[in-house]
Amino acid sequence: MITQALIIWLLPLLAFTIQIFVGKRLPRKGDWVSVSAIGISFMLSIMLMIQMFMAYDPEFAVTAAMPWIETGNFAIPLGIRLDNLAIIMLMVVTTVSFLVHVYSMGYMAGDQYYNRFFAYLSLFSFSMLGLVLWDNLFGIYMMWELVGICSYLLIGFYFTKDSAANAGKKAFITNRIGDFGFLIGLLIVFTTIGSFNFSAIHEGVSSGLLSGGLLTAAGVLLFAGAVGKSAQFPLHVWLPDAMEGPTPVSALIHAATMVAAGVYLMARLSFMLSFDAMLVVAYIGGFTAIFAATIAITQNDIKRVLAYSTVSQLGYMIMALGVGSYMAGFFHLVTHAMFKAGLFLGSGSVIHAMHHSMHKLHLHEDPNDLRLMGGFKSKMPVTYATFLIFTLALSGIPFFSGFLSKDAILGGTLAFAMSQHNPIHFLLPVFGFTAAMITAFYMFRLVIRTFYGKPVRPEIYEHIHESPKQMTVPLMVLAALSIFIVYTLPSFNPTGAAGGWFDHLIQHPHSAVSAQLGHDVLHIDHETEHLAHISGIIISILVAGLGILLAFFIYYWKKADHTRIAQSIRPLYLLSFNKYYFDEIYQATFVRGLLAWNDLLNWFDAKIIDGIVNLSATVTRVFSAVSGLFDLHIVDGLVNGLANVTSLFGNGLRKIQTGQVQNYILGALLGTVLIIIISLI
Amino acid sequence: MASFYIALLFLAVGFLLVGLTVLFSRLLHPRINYPEKNLTYECGIIPEGESWIKFNSRFYVIALIFLIFDVEILFLFPWAVVFEELGLLAFVEMFIFIVILLVGLAYVWVKGDLDWIKPRPELAHLPKEKGK
Amino acid sequence: MNNLESLQFFIPELFLTAGLLVTIIVELLLKKEQKVFTAYLAATVLLITIFFLIRQYAIEPAALFGGMVVIDPMAVFFKILTAVSTLIIVFFSIPSFRVKAEYYVLLLATTLGMMLMAQVNDLLMIILAMELVGLVSYVLAGYRRSDPKSGEASLKYILFGAASTGIMAFGFSYIYGLTGQTNLFEIQQALQSTQHNPVILFVAFVLIIAGLGYKIAMVPFHFWLPDVYEGAPTPVTAFFSVGPKAAGMAVLIRFIISIVAGVSADGQTFTANAPIHAQELLAVLAVLTMTLGNLSALQQKNIKRMMAYSSIAHAGYMLMALAVFTSQSVEAVMFYLVVYMFMNFGAFWVIHRMTPHLGSEEITAYTGLGYRAPLVAVAMGVFMFSLTGLPPLAGFIGKFYLFAAVIKAEWYILAVLGVLNSVVSLYYYAYVTKVMFLNRGDDESAVSISSYDTALLLVFLIPTLVLGVYWVPVISWATQSLHFFLG
Repeated sequence: MITQALIIWLLPLLAFTIQIFVGKRLPRKGDWVSVSAIGISFMLSIMLMIQMFMAYDPEFAVTAAMPWIETGNFAIPLGIRLDNLAIIMLMVVTTVSFLVHVYSMGYMAGDQYYNRFFAYLSLFSFSMLGLVLWDNLFGIYMMWELVGICSYLLIGFYFTKDSAANAGKKAFITNRIGDFGFLIGLLIVFTTIGSFNFSAIHEGVSSGLLSGGLLTAAGVLLFAGAVGKSAQFPLHVWLPDAMEGPTPVSALIHAATMVAAGVYLMARLSFMLSFDAMLVVAYIGGFTAIFAATIAITQNDIKRVLAYSTVSQLGYMIMALGVGSYMAGFFHLVTHAMFKAGLFLGSGSVIHAMHHSMHKLHLHEDPNDLRLMGGFKSKMPVTYATFLIFTLALSGIPFFSGFLSKDAILGGTLAFAMSQHNPIHFLLPVFGFTAAMITAFYMFRLVIRTFYGKPVRPEIYEHIHESPKQMTVPLMVLAALSIFIVYTLPSFNPTGAAGGWFDHLIQHPHSAVSAQLGHDVLHIDHETEHLAHISGIIISILVAGLGILLAFFIYYWKKADHTRIAQSIRPLYLLSFNKYYFDEIYQATFVRGLLAWNDLLNWFDAKIIDGIVNLSATVTRVFSAVSGLFDLHIVDGLVNGLANVTSLFGNGLRKIQTGQVQNYILGALLGTVLIIIISLI
Repeated sequence: MASFYIALLFLAVGFLLVGLTVLFSRLLHPRINYPEKNLTYECGIIPEGESWIKFNSRFYVIALIFLIFDVEILFLFPWAVVFEELGLLAFVEMFIFIVILLVGLAYVWVKGDLDWIKPRPELAHLPKEKGK
Repeated sequence: MNNLESLQFFIPELFLTAGLLVTIIVELLLKKEQKVFTAYLAATVLLITIFFLIRQYAIEPAALFGGMVVIDPMAVFFKILTAVSTLIIVFFSIPSFRVKAEYYVLLLATTLGMMLMAQVNDLLMIILAMELVGLVSYVLAGYRRSDPKSGEASLKYILFGAASTGIMAFGFSYIYGLTGQTNLFEIQQALQSTQHNPVILFVAFVLIIAGLGYKIAMVPFHFWLPDVYEGAPTPVTAFFSVGPKAAGMAVLIRFIISIVAGVSADGQTFTANAPIHAQELLAVLAVLTMTLGNLSALQQKNIKRMMAYSSIAHAGYMLMALAVFTSQSVEAVMFYLVVYMFMNFGAFWVIHRMTPHLGSEEITAYTGLGYRAPLVAVAMGVFMFSLTGLPPLAGFIGKFYLFAAVIKAEWYILAVLGVLNSVVSLYYYAYVTKVMFLNRGDDESAVSISSYDTALLLVFLIPTLVLGVYWVPVISWATQSLHFFLG
C-alpha cells in the first residue's frame, strides 16, 4: 500500500519535471503526460479505496517512515500515513484533479502557455497529494507552502493581465499572514514535544507535555494557517480575487482541494484542540459561513458568486470541526469538493460558450457577467442539467449529497448548543440555518438568471453552443458523484449518513486533550444528538425550501422587482455588493499603515541616521584638521569600511601571484621553512 | 666512528691527489699559444657554426623509448637469474609486464614515432614544398 | 596477505588496468572520425570498475600485497568517488576532445592512480601513487598543444609538482630514519613504543604536509593552482578540482589516522600519537587557505581564475574540519567532497559550454545571460549559491556538517573564521548571479544549447538540488565508510 501511495504521490512530480523541461517539444504539447500521470494516480487511488473497503475498519492505518534529517539528537523522519481520512482525501484529490485535467484539455486548448498550465497542474497535484500523505506537521508545512506557490502561479497564469498578477500577489501575501501563525504554532509544538509526528504529538499532548494556555495557543496558531488557506474571515479576501485564474484552476484549487487543505489540517489536528481553541474555530467558521453568504447574494460575476459560496461552505466545515462534529466536517469537505468542482466546471462551460459567442460578435464585454445571460437551458442541456444537480446538492435538498453532509453539520451544531449551558452558543446553529437559506436563495438566483427566462441579449444567445465532450463528461461524472447514494451505501436512507460507509469509516479520533484532563471536553449524550438530528433535518429542509421559493418568487415569476428591493435597502445592498468594504479597509489600514511606517523609516534613515553619519564624518574631519596628523585619505578609507580593506587585501594577494614559477616554488619553500621556524619558536 | 675516519682519510687523499695532479701539470706543461691550438678539435677538423644548435626533438623521443625498453631489460636480468626458484607465477607476472610494454611499443610504432623521417602531416595551412 | 590472495580484492584496479590497455589498442585501430568511440569505451570501463567497487561496499578491512596497500570502506568510498568523478569528466570532455583519443587513456590512468592513493599504506606507495596521478596530470594540463597558455600551465605544474614531491620525500626520509619503517602502521607502532625527538618529528610532518598540501592546494603550496586552472583545458580543470583533490584528501586522512593520531578500535575517537601540535598547524593553514582563496577570488575578472581561487577556499573549509580530528569531521569532509563534486562540475560545465557562445571567460561576458539562456543561467545561479552554502542547496548541507564537526569539537574561533569566510565568498558568487540576471548586456540574442549539454547540466543540477533536501543516503554512506584499517 505504501508503494502504491508513493507512486500516486510521485507520478505527478515526474509529469511536472517532464513538462517543464521538454513539454513544449512533445506532441500535443505534452498534455497527455500530465493527464496520464494523474490518471494512473487516480486508478491507484481507487485500488487503495478498495483495499480500505476490504478492511472496513475505522482504526485502519498504515504508516511508513525513513530517516530524512538526522544530526545528533535532532531527527525528522520522512513518513507517510495512510488511514481512512488520507485515503478518502486522496480519492477526492485525484478524482477532481483527473477530471479537471481532462476538462482543461478542452478549456485551455490553443492557449499560448498550454504546456506550462499542465506542468503547474501536475506540480499542484503532487504537492496536494503530499500534503494529504505526510504523517508529520513539518512535511505538511512544506507541502502547504508548495500548494500555495502553485496557487499563486495559477492565479497569475494570465500574468499579462494586471488584475490576474495582482490577485496572485494578494493571495500569496494574505496566505503569508496565516502561514506565519502556522509556523509559530509548529514551533511551539516542536519545542514542547520535540517531534512533528502526529502520533508523537498525540502522546505528548496526552501526557501533558503541551497543555493549558500554550496548548490553546498552539491550536489557534495552527488554525491561523487554516484561516489563510481556507479563506476564513478575516483572511477571506484573496479567494474571490483568485477567480482571475483559469476556471479549471478555480474548480480544482479554489473550490475542491487546496482551500479544503485547511479543513483537512484541522481534521488531522482535531485531537489536540482544547475547548477554547475549538470555540474560536467554531465561531470563525460560523461567522464566515453567514458573512460570505450575504455577499454572494449581490454579486453579478458568476464565478464570484461561486467563490463566496465556497468561502461560506468552508466556514461550515470549519464550524463543524469546531463543535466536534469531525465526521460531518470532513463529509462536507468530500461532498462539497464534488459538487463545487462541478459548479465551477459548469460555470466554466457557460463562460467558455459566452467567450466564443462574444468573440464571434467582436464584443468586449465580461463573459462572466450574469446580467448578459438568460435562457441558456435549451442551448446547453448537459451543462444545465448537471448544474441544476450541483445546485440542488449545494442547497441541501434531500436525495443529494449536500443534504447529508450539511444536515450532519447543522445537527452537530444544534447538538453542541443544546449540550452547552451557555445559551449564546445557539448563535452557531442560527448562523448555520440562516446561511443555508441564503445559500439556497443565491444559488437559485444564479441558476434562474443563467438558464431560465428569456435571453437578455439575443445576439449573444444566438451563438451559444454546448461545450465539447472533454468538458461535459467530467460534469456528468461529478453530477453522478453528487447523488446521496454514493455516500450512504450500504444503507439507502436519503435523510442521513448514519449507517453508510462514510459514517462508519470516519470516526472522531480520541481527543488527546480529554485524556490529559481525565474527562471528555465535549460530551454529547445520545438523546440530545438524536433530537438535534431530527430537528436539524426538518429545519434545514424548511429553510432551503424557503430560500428556493424566494428566488423563484423574485427572479422567475418576477413578483417583486429585485432592483426595487435593492433600492429600498440600499445601505445594506451596498454593504453586501462591496463585500463589506473589506478590501478598502485593508487598503486603508494595513497597506497604508505599512506604507506610512515605511515612509517613517525612510525619513528616519534619511534624516537621523544620515545626520549621525554626517556628523561623525564632520567631527572626524574637524578632528583631523585640528590634529593635522590625520589626513583625509585615511579617514575616508576607514569610513568606507571593511569592504575596501577586504578588496585591498585581495589586491595585495593578487600581486603574490606573479606568474613566475620560480617565485612560486620559492614561496612554497619559504612557507615551509617559515612554518617550521614559527612553530619551533 | 673509526670507519668514518677512514672515509675521511680517503676523501682527503682523493682531494690531495687531484689537486697535486693539476698542480704538477700546471707546473710542467709548456705554454705555447697559436691559433690552431685553441680550436675545438686539435686534430684538424674545423668546426662548423655554433655549438649552441637546435637538436631535432626526435632524439628525445627515441631516447625515451630506448630508456623504457632499457629498463625492461634491466628488470629481466634479475628475474632470469632467480627464475627457477620463483616458478610459473613469476613467468606469468613477467609475461604481463612485457605485454604491457609491448602495447607501448605498438603505440609508438603505429603513431610513427619509430620512423626517423615522419610522414609530413597534411595540413591545409602549410604551403606545399617547392619542387615536389 | 600475500600477492596472490590479494588479487581478489584488487579486481577493480586490475580491470581498470586491463581496460586501459584495451583502450590504447582500440584507439590505434580506429579511424580518425571514429576516435570518439574511445570515449565511450573509457566510460564503459569506468562504469564496470564502479560496479566492481560497489561490490566492495562494507568490506572487511585488510592489508594487501604485504601491507603496501589496504582495503577498507574508507578506501572504497574514495575509490568510488574518484571513479565517478572521472566518469563524469569523460562525458564532460566528449564535446571538446572528439579526436584526441589518448586523452581518455590518460584519464583512466589517473583514475588508477587516484584509486591507489585512496588505499595507500606505505610511504613508497604514497609517492608512487601520487606520482602516477601527477605525471598524467602534467600531460593533461598541457593537452591543448596549440595553446601556449596550456603549455605554460603544464610546465609550471611539473616544476612545482616535482619540487613538492621532493620536499615530501625528504620528509619521508626523516620518518624512515627515525623509525626504520616504511609501512604506515609499523611507523605508528614505532612512534608509540619509543619516544622520539618532537622537533624532528614536527619538521618531518611539515615537510610531508607540504607535499600533500600541494595536491589539495593548501596555502602556501597553492601557487601553481590558479595558473594551471586557467591554462588547462576546462574539462581538465574541472577534473583537477575534484578527483585528485579528493584523492589527496584521502591520503591526508590516511596519514592523519595512522601516523599523526591513532584511532580507537571503533573508529570514533582519535588520539594524538606524538606531541607535535599537528592540529594547531592544520587549523592555522586551513584558515590561511580559505582566507587567501576567498580574498583573492574577490578580485578576479576571469571566471575560471575565480573558480580556481574558490577551489582553494573550499580546500580550506575541508581542512578546517580535518584539523579537529574527530570521526564527525572526517565524515563531514567525505560528504562535502560528494556535494562539491556536483556543484563544482556544474559550474565548470556552464563555463565550458558558455565560453564559445560568450566569446570570453571574463565574468562580465555573462551579463544578461539570464535572458539569453534561462535554464543555463538558473543552473549557474544554483551552483553559485550552493558553493556559497545557502539553503536549501546541497552546499549548505555540506558546510553545515563541516561547521557542525568543528563546533562539536569546541574549536569555536576556527568555526567563526570559517563562517566569516563564507560570508566573503557570497560576494563573488552572488556577483556572477547578479550580472546574469540583474544586468542586461548589449547582445541579447538567445543562446541555444544542445540536448546533450542540457542532459549533462541536469546531471549536476538535480543532485545539487536534491542533496539539499534529502541527503541521508549519502551521509549514511559516509558514516558506514568510517571504518578504517587499523593494523
